[in-house]
Amino acid sequence: MLMMDAKPKLNLPPPFDEAMHRHEREIMRFILRATGDRDDALDLFQETWLRAYRSYRQLDSADGLRPWLFRIASNLCLNRKRDRARRAQVIAGVEFNEEDAGAVAPMHDSALHLKSMLRRLPNKQRQALVMRKLGGLDYSEIAAALGCSEEAARAGVYLAMKKLKAE
Amino acid sequence: MERKFEAYFEDGAEIPDEIVEELLRKARSRLASTLDRIRRPLARVAVIESGIGRLLAAQSIRGLVALRFMDSDDTASLLAAVRRRFDVVEDDAVAAEIGGEIERLMQGDADAVSARAVDLSLVESDFQRRALARLRRVPAGSVISYQGLAAAIGVPSGQRAVGNTVASNPVPIYVPCHRVIRSDGSLGNYGGGPERKLKLLRAEGFGVDLQRRVPPDAVYGHWVSRIFCRPACSAVRRSERRQWLIFANPERARRFGMRACKLCHPA
Repeated sequence: MLMMDAKPKLNLPPPFDEAMHRHEREIMRFILRATGDRDDALDLFQETWLRAYRSYRQLDSADGLRPWLFRIASNLCLNRKRDRARRAQVIAGVEFNEEDAGAVAPMHDSALHLKSMLRRLPNKQRQALVMRKLGGLDYSEIAAALGCSEEAARAGVYLAMKKLKAE
Repeated sequence: MERKFEAYFEDGAEIPDEIVEELLRKARSRLASTLDRIRRPLARVAVIESGIGRLLAAQSIRGLVALRFMDSDDTASLLAAVRRRFDVVEDDAVAAEIGGEIERLMQGDADAVSARAVDLSLVESDFQRRALARLRRVPAGSVISYQGLAAAIGVPSGQRAVGNTVASNPVPIYVPCHRVIRSDGSLGNYGGGPERKLKLLRAEGFGVDLQRRVPPDAVYGHWVSRIFCRPACSAVRRSERRQWLIFANPERARRFGMRACKLCHPA
């Protein structure tokens, strides 16, 4: 992104340590929220930054840094969740069914209730919702993180909210 | 119901700072030790506005890694190549240092760029590294042919390979690929355009004429024996002009520690 007259800038992302210093808190908070477990969060936090370091050279502008980090963190959280579900399937020897799990143990606590409802949302919608409401990202950043248009991000959050409210 | 959700998101279940800080403390030390094991070396990069055009430079602790003319070359791929091997940070101090050296070079101080070390870690093969290291020792105010450079690194028929190497030189100006010309005395091409090659050679005191031929008072200096001759000397003709540096004039050759031939008495 070179200007014609002004002293040209390369607009490179900041040094990695600075990026870490700037975003480690919100990433940790985000992962904690997404996993709800300290050990998991510690694990995924470490993995997020290691993965970010390995592919840091592919990030070609400073503006994309924040959504890019959130995307890595959010993908890792998703993977973890999926692997857990698979393992549960293997151990139990039956089809894992989240509807049943919810039905067996009705949750009265509102936070837990919300968690179970969040779990039932489609991935894109839930990610968008979590990034918007818990991560505090704006729609353009969510769009960059999820690889979709800004309108799609907005729609995802809206649909997710609508579904939650309907319950 | 609506209020409940919004409240939950906004402040209902805010994770306390203490928990985040405590987890961060635990995570940081673990992460730091793992990161240190896989960390790449650091390169500082900057854009330089110089008398011969806008340049992109990358400097590691070992030396200058890359330099590129931004108007005529593909800097994106260069930057990608640098970032494959290095962690990069933008640093204007690099622009000031290197820009200053190039400015001095263009004003006739031929030694301005020779003090800085170069880091050839972007160069793929050993042959190429050898060729470029040898080329770096071709002094300002002289030129060498592709064939001559090939012969100088012990591969007398490697002029094509040398040509490719010089064309992909990651550190032009500092590794003086502008001092390599064709065996017939014409200038040949240059990464930043032939005009720049001409400009650089003239700044170094190698006054090529309008037809871009070697100057009339040029002398041939033998790299190994340190003797310089007129172009027409029988000694030059006998050895097929291999291994010869072409100096702009006898004075330049003397400055490089050469003596005049006793057969042809150049100047």
